[in-house]
Amino acid sequence: MENDHHQHHRHELNGDSTKPHAPKKPRLSLSSSFSSITEFEIRSEFSHHDPSIARINNGSFGCCPRSVTAAQMEWQTRFLAQPDAFYFNELKKGILHSRTIIKDLINADHVDEVSIVDNATTAAAIILQQIAWGFAGGKFRPGDAVLMLHYAYGSVKKSIEAYVTRAGGHVIEVPLPFPVNSEEEIISEFKKALERGKANGRKIRLAVIDHVTSMPCVVIPVKELVKICREEGVEQVFIDAAHGIGCTKVDMKEIGADYYASNLHKWFFCPPSIALLYCRKSPEILDLHHPVVSHEYGNGLAIESAWIGTRDYSPQLVVPSVVEFVNRFEGGIEGIKERNHEQVVKMGEMLANAWGTKLGCPPEMCASMIMIGLPTCLGISCEEDTMNLRTHLREQFGVEVPIYFRAPKNGETVSITGYARISHQVYNKEEDYIKFRNAVKQLVSDGFTCTLLSQ
Amino acid sequence: MATEGNKKIIAVCQSGGEFETNKDGTLSYRGGQAHALDIDDRVKFEDFKVEVAEMFSCYMNSMSVKYLLPGNKKTLITISNDKDLKRMVKFCGDSVTVDVYVVAEEIVALNVSDMLSARFSAACGVDHCLDHVDYSKPNLSCFITDTEIQSEFAHHDLGVARMNNGSFGCCPASVIRAARRWQLRFLRQPDHFYYHELQQGLLESRTVIKHLINAEDVDEITVVDNATTAVAIVLQHTAWAFSEGIYDKGDAVLMLHYAYGAVKKSIKAYVSRTGGHVIEVPFNFPVNSNDEIVSEFRKALGKGKANGRKVRLALIDHVTSMPSVVIPVKDLVKICREEGVEQVLVDAAHGVGCVDVDVQEIGADFCTSSLHKWFFCPPSVAFLHCRKKHLDLHHPIVSHEYGNGLPIESGWVGTRDYSPLLVVPSALDFINRFEGGIQGIKKRNHDNVVEIGKMLAEAWGTNLGCPPDMCASMIMVGLPAGLGIAREKDALKLKTHLRKNFGVEVPIYFKDPEDGEGEGESITGYARISHQVYNKIGDYHKYRDAVSQLVSDGFTCACLPD
Repeated sequence: MENDHHQHHRHELNGDSTKPHAPKKPRLSLSSSFSSITEFEIRSEFSHHDPSIARINNGSFGCCPRSVTAAQMEWQTRFLAQPDAFYFNELKKGILHSRTIIKDLINADHVDEVSIVDNATTAAAIILQQIAWGFAGGKFRPGDAVLMLHYAYGSVKKSIEAYVTRAGGHVIEVPLPFPVNSEEEIISEFKKALERGKANGRKIRLAVIDHVTSMPCVVIPVKELVKICREEGVEQVFIDAAHGIGCTKVDMKEIGADYYASNLHKWFFCPPSIALLYCRKSPEILDLHHPVVSHEYGNGLAIESAWIGTRDYSPQLVVPSVVEFVNRFEGGIEGIKERNHEQVVKMGEMLANAWGTKLGCPPEMCASMIMIGLPTCLGISCEEDTMNLRTHLREQFGVEVPIYFRAPKNGETVSITGYARISHQVYNKEEDYIKFRNAVKQLVSDGFTCTLLSQ
Repeated sequence: MATEGNKKIIAVCQSGGEFETNKDGTLSYRGGQAHALDIDDRVKFEDFKVEVAEMFSCYMNSMSVKYLLPGNKKTLITISNDKDLKRMVKFCGDSVTVDVYVVAEEIVALNVSDMLSARFSAACGVDHCLDHVDYSKPNLSCFITDTEIQSEFAHHDLGVARMNNGSFGCCPASVIRAARRWQLRFLRQPDHFYYHELQQGLLESRTVIKHLINAEDVDEITVVDNATTAVAIVLQHTAWAFSEGIYDKGDAVLMLHYAYGAVKKSIKAYVSRTGGHVIEVPFNFPVNSNDEIVSEFRKALGKGKANGRKVRLALIDHVTSMPSVVIPVKDLVKICREEGVEQVLVDAAHGVGCVDVDVQEIGADFCTSSLHKWFFCPPSVAFLHCRKKHLDLHHPIVSHEYGNGLPIESGWVGTRDYSPLLVVPSALDFINRFEGGIQGIKKRNHDNVVEIGKMLAEAWGTNLGCPPDMCASMIMVGLPAGLGIAREKDALKLKTHLRKNFGVEVPIYFKDPEDGEGEGESITGYARISHQVYNKIGDYHKYRDAVSQLVSDGFTCACLPD
């Protein structure tokens, strides 16, 4: 990994900004023979994607380029060829290498703080199981609280039910407005919820805060919220950044949380599946364990997670290959992030104009995804409608996009009850969004309503 | 292709995709490639086929051409001749285009598939169709040949005599290809895969497993990553019971002294930590009969129940790992029931494909077995069987499926590569290419490994670790005392030395002289030999000779650096 090409971009991985627009022609830089990946090469890297689908939902399952899949298969083959030798001589080294790269990516102090797990869902289970032990072991008192956002991911809410509520903890939900107009709205609701939480001297043992909520999708001002948590005596803060690396700014020292979980298969081009769980060095992290207990139990979370029984660990081993891929792009991962953001805002505004609707939040509260209101006449009146409409768009129009049902609150009259969450990733083209624009326009002009689908 | 003046239409020819039936019964075609071709009602079918074959680089003889009528999207109409083609142009004449689908037919010799079909049922009583069978060429003999076996395992490191199937298992190339096809389907269109393919695929795997282990209902079958995960699921349930006061502090959980290392840690992490008392069942190794194990088990149970203590869970290996011995689980489960043990978990990591796993016969509450060890699945997949009454188990990785039952919870533990869990039917297809299917494979592995074990013991002047009827497809063979295996570390160093310098892969068990019999016991190291379909006698000769050479060189473990 010591070639010029890689060195040239190391600083760019850590956040130095680069030119806003990628030039169309490959550009020779002074210090190396680097030239950007071309359009053709990008198409080739993602040629396995279904060409009949406008794939504007990178947020749900991510993507993985062919060169990384090829690297993954090499790792798989090495294990299958001689698994004992692989286990004793290659596996630990490979995982340590991945962890070291990730540590640099996220500006963590020490590689011991970096564990690799299957996905953010697993990371949440690890943190929350620790909370359950706190209650079971008497460290926490019944009624002590855990705080989460109302828009926390479905699986995380269930995990909190499974581990916190079951163990006697009290759960506080922070309601958030949507559509949202500014970060202040979120900060203010958060402060209010914290006060409510601490009423009657209740201790808040953990705050679970999304870095980017899933549905509806909004970038949360985590740095400010962590600061407030510290001021208000919240014991531990866990940032659920499922949409993290490759999507938003991920700097552990700046954010200052105790725990930070981010998927790498969503926005960092890793194959399914791999996630990072960062745990800031403290006495508490000795208490963290992977729920699947192997002979490594007690050797620290990072070591425990690196062996949870016989598994295919190849997704965790290809991180170096992913870095190579990412560095073929102008500006590396920072360049990719910036361009994704620009494009998704541009496409969002184009769609909102075309449909006469609006965005769900200001552009600066988006990263590489954006929420766009769908025309009222589509008649989205419940969750089921969003699923049916999504399926209809997939099957009849070849458009893959998740839809959020924005229920009117008490006494509210809202015209927009449905928002589409579009994503932008390097394989997307403007025509993907035009296809979506036209599909919705056609539905509108056909007089389509969701009631037709639920018959 | 169309000529001026005739009724024309553009045929949008599509191939390489898949049909799907929509909710209303209509068909949709997804994926693949499309090429446009203008035709009229005078075009000959043969000429049409030639054009299409060139477009898609496929064989004319194996091509089938179909289309859908404008008013009927449910029924595919086949075009077999000039008349059919003319009719298509006429019926679709008002449209500018017509969708034409080009499907490549499978080439499977009918008599072969009939014979194999009969054998599938005979071999394992499974009502299984050939949908997943992947033939690269028709096979005129009924069973897989030696050459084909070698080809299926050509990815194994040929420089190593691989006699350790027990640790990490193996996976034939055809099953790896099946897994990659699943992976590709997900990568291609993950949303569609998640909503339309994953659950169905998992249900098929669970159904195959249900038949394999003679379970009553597919609801009792959960697929998980590995036995380590299955054990964590059961033990977390035990931990909750202690924490929530359902079990009293000091209630006991029983395990074998030779339980797997990860399982022992799991018991510490979940049972000891919540106040449970752990009892270990020791037994001698080398072991001479089932009675020795049964008698120790009874004694330990007695201790467990002392002072009115309740034994909440007994964790029994079906085949211990190191040292490897087949445990008489059916007898032990019976004793557990007689003695009021509340729940029994059989850890059959070495289970399906190694020993007979009939859950109704074994009679435990829970049973787990890996499928990547002895059932040719890729890493990694296992199942946990739970009797119907145990509905309150949860997967520790909690997703939105929480509360929908363990099988459903385990079917979605966040975004993952689920392909190992989806290829269980493909692994079964591979197994059924062998004479006698899985039963045949098991028997031959057992017979071979016993013969080989005796050969090695004789060559080295040592003994086996247990009688042949207490082995399955692995056997423990004493290593010559002269090698001087004096502690755990020596066993590991010797294993590495044999791998590096002799190209032999075999795990070695250190038998502490204090543990077992008294004086005259000079064998302190036992090799655990596995036999699987890819092994050849040459592998074991290589091992025999390596050890013999070490002995004649006067080698001892003390020579090896730390």
